[in-house]
Amino acid sequence: MMGSTHERPLLTAALVMVATVLAIVPLLFPSFLVYQLSIALTYAIAILGLNLLMGFNGQISVAQGVFFAVGAYATAIFATRFGLGPLATLPIAVAMSALIGFLVGIPALRMQGLPLAFVTLGLAVLVPPLALKLDWITKGATGISFAKPMPPSWFPGNQDTFLYEMCLVSAAICVWIARRLIGGDTGRTLRAVRDNAMIAESLGINLTAVRLAAFATSAAFAGFGGWCFALINGYVSPDSFQMTMSFNFLVGSIIGGITSIAGALIGALFITFVPDWASDINLALSGVIYGAALVVMMLLARDGVVGLARDAYARLRPTLFTNTSRKSSQVRAADLAPIKTQGRTS
Amino acid sequence: MTPRNTLQVRGLHAGYGSIRVLHGIDFCVEEGAIVALLGANGAGKTTTLRALSGMIAARGAIELDGHDVGGTSAADRARLGIAHVPQGRGTFVDFTVEENLALGAYTIRDKRTIRSALDYWYGIFPWLAERRSQPAGSLSGGEQQMLAIARALMTRPRILMCDEPSLGLAPAITRELFALLERLNREHGMAILLVEQNARLTLKIAHRAYVLESGEIRLEGRADELRDNALIQRAYLGT
Amino acid sequence: MQLFFQQIVEGLASGAIYASLALALVLVYRATRVVNFAQGEMATFTAYLAWQLHEWGVPFVLSLIIVAPLSFVLGALVFRLAIRPVMTAPDHTIVVICIGLFVGFEAICLWIWGSDAYAFPRIFPDTAWTVGGIRFSAANLGVLGVLCVLALGLAAVFRFTRIGLAMRASAAEREKSPLVGIRVETMLMLGWGLATVFGFIAAVLIAPKLFLSPPMMVPVVIYALAAATLGGWDSPVGAIIGGLVVGVAESLGATFVGFIGSELKIAIPFIVMAIVLVLRPQGLFGKTAVMRA
Repeated sequence: MMGSTHERPLLTAALVMVATVLAIVPLLFPSFLVYQLSIALTYAIAILGLNLLMGFNGQISVAQGVFFAVGAYATAIFATRFGLGPLATLPIAVAMSALIGFLVGIPALRMQGLPLAFVTLGLAVLVPPLALKLDWITKGATGISFAKPMPPSWFPGNQDTFLYEMCLVSAAICVWIARRLIGGDTGRTLRAVRDNAMIAESLGINLTAVRLAAFATSAAFAGFGGWCFALINGYVSPDSFQMTMSFNFLVGSIIGGITSIAGALIGALFITFVPDWASDINLALSGVIYGAALVVMMLLARDGVVGLARDAYARLRPTLFTNTSRKSSQVRAADLAPIKTQGRTS
Repeated sequence: MTPRNTLQVRGLHAGYGSIRVLHGIDFCVEEGAIVALLGANGAGKTTTLRALSGMIAARGAIELDGHDVGGTSAADRARLGIAHVPQGRGTFVDFTVEENLALGAYTIRDKRTIRSALDYWYGIFPWLAERRSQPAGSLSGGEQQMLAIARALMTRPRILMCDEPSLGLAPAITRELFALLERLNREHGMAILLVEQNARLTLKIAHRAYVLESGEIRLEGRADELRDNALIQRAYLGT
Repeated sequence: MQLFFQQIVEGLASGAIYASLALALVLVYRATRVVNFAQGEMATFTAYLAWQLHEWGVPFVLSLIIVAPLSFVLGALVFRLAIRPVMTAPDHTIVVICIGLFVGFEAICLWIWGSDAYAFPRIFPDTAWTVGGIRFSAANLGVLGVLCVLALGLAAVFRFTRIGLAMRASAAEREKSPLVGIRVETMLMLGWGLATVFGFIAAVLIAPKLFLSPPMMVPVVIYALAAATLGGWDSPVGAIIGGLVVGVAESLGATFVGFIGSELKIAIPFIVMAIVLVLRPQGLFGKTAVMRA
């Protein structure tokens, strides 16, 4: 999934280039755009977690927004109640999300596919009103505000820039973690459980442990993203974490490509900016445009944007790189021509 | 007067995705003939029938009564008169016997034609009439196979294609089945393309036969000649 | 005690509406293995069309008669343009398409008619009868009556007509059906069209109570999902029974269980779903467990 051995350094180089470009963004763009990119980065972290769970482990979740919210709220609550600074609230946010993820993963063990989607949908729908009801913790509709972290003295920029770079570093860390998880044995194990659980089990893999770990890890990523989100806003409320957030993460994951790390960022950018662009084109029609965009994207790119790019790359590759001619007596000229579909199966 | 070919196939290529199964085969079924397509597992027999009925995409010329049907969909080919009884009980398992026959007669609009076809088949198989409201899945293997054939023939197709009808059936039932096919051919001049692994019985009722191996036709000829062929005897008849 | 039975009556009435929408969902699922949760938003859109015709002076019943076939066409078109091209794609692709349809249809309603809630004309008169201390309103009975008609009509179409048989065959045996000359994709299109008409009917029945607004059907869809899950996703009978049960559960739960009250009423369908999925995943009347999405 990450490319053959001589493509890996290429990908790393590409990632580093992208990271550098992203790092100097605040110098080039107005501050609102920088803020939006910060948001997109927090979404990317959450979507990355979702890709781990859905793409690599095959468990569908419509509840990623819930874990994101848990991370954000944990950050806000511990910052205000116990006066903890950001570096202290991060492990708490991640741990709490991971814990909730683990708990959700338990009933998920018995379900896959559609039923799991329903159950996680239930979480996404019920948690916001629940958060409203439990106002002794969450302060209900008022929400919780707290001071955004100030940049340290050595930082050559203002607070907004600092928060942006913080999100960027967080995203980079998460990408690094994800790559390590996917590339090695963990990735293989995840995929084995996804593709054929029975065979995986017969090979000695503990299905329960893997699935629970996948859920917890995915939620941990979301919690990390939630922590960033809380810090760059300095405010959390149930309004920010409605059911649509979980749907958006799902959409972002699939549009980018559910088994792709780059896809997580692409998907995050999509869900952050396309609704805005839709509003710019025509405020009243923005929902229609966004909905149409989703449908069109899926009709054109079944495996997400990254899948589309991979297909294009695979087709261009023979012409881009010299190919040693493969002469085989088995291959006949007629066989190389594509088989045309004769009539539709209607 | 040379007999016309009900079915003429030239250069048929077919496969599944990137796996090519048939590598350009030619064969034909004359009007009123029973032609057998023999071969071992994996030779491509089922793929051939599926390509002919339109269930899978294929390349090559497929002519029914001289007209090229290669560009038509599976539903259209059925309407044109290609009847396919697929492998493993071509019945609609969750539907009743009568519903199966009704489905077979789907393209017939005239109620009287449907009625007379039903009566015809209930006449040949009285037990079908008795079980008409039972789900097809509750019938025995042999009965389901006969129901599937009846279903396929409700519209008096140009050609009947059967995919391993004897699969999983006891020898006595298989003989009954083959007797039925032979009778249909004799009484109605029905062209039949019979795909089978059971060469012995098949060659008894067929007029001509082809042997398919790894997606290519290896042998062809008259059934009685092939019966005496040493290759066939060794490979398929076990002598 | 009286309150208990009264709530059951009310619950059955709402349940009938959930059942109608659940029937639409099950029809679509059986035919194409897609859970089209945008069915509710499409239904809202068609309800708005009927409302608009009425606002322009067309008699209400005539508006309904005009919009019903339009709903059919809408469903068929959505299938043809947005679903058929991706039927061989992975399941998550279709999920995003349904999300897109969901967002899009709600947005169209918002764009054309705005976010205000409109009063929707009542089909049934405002009368009621009281028997044994329990109030039976004409609307409640009427809704149940409509459900009966829908259920019987659908059963009749499926069992006694050629097209119904072909639709059932296309849903059950997609590969074999072309062999008897059935154009499967046309049948699937008809299924979607029919389902959209059912959705239209559900919307028209509930709009007088909920008031017509773009997100009107969102909670209804959730109840319908629970109903279909309870009844079994491949069973129209299950959708009906499931809908009625969910309706009664909602009514009783909201009234008698304090913590749920009316804000967390929406938890009830999920609780039902959770129980079904743990105890009997294929639903009451379903045959195969709906496992791989």
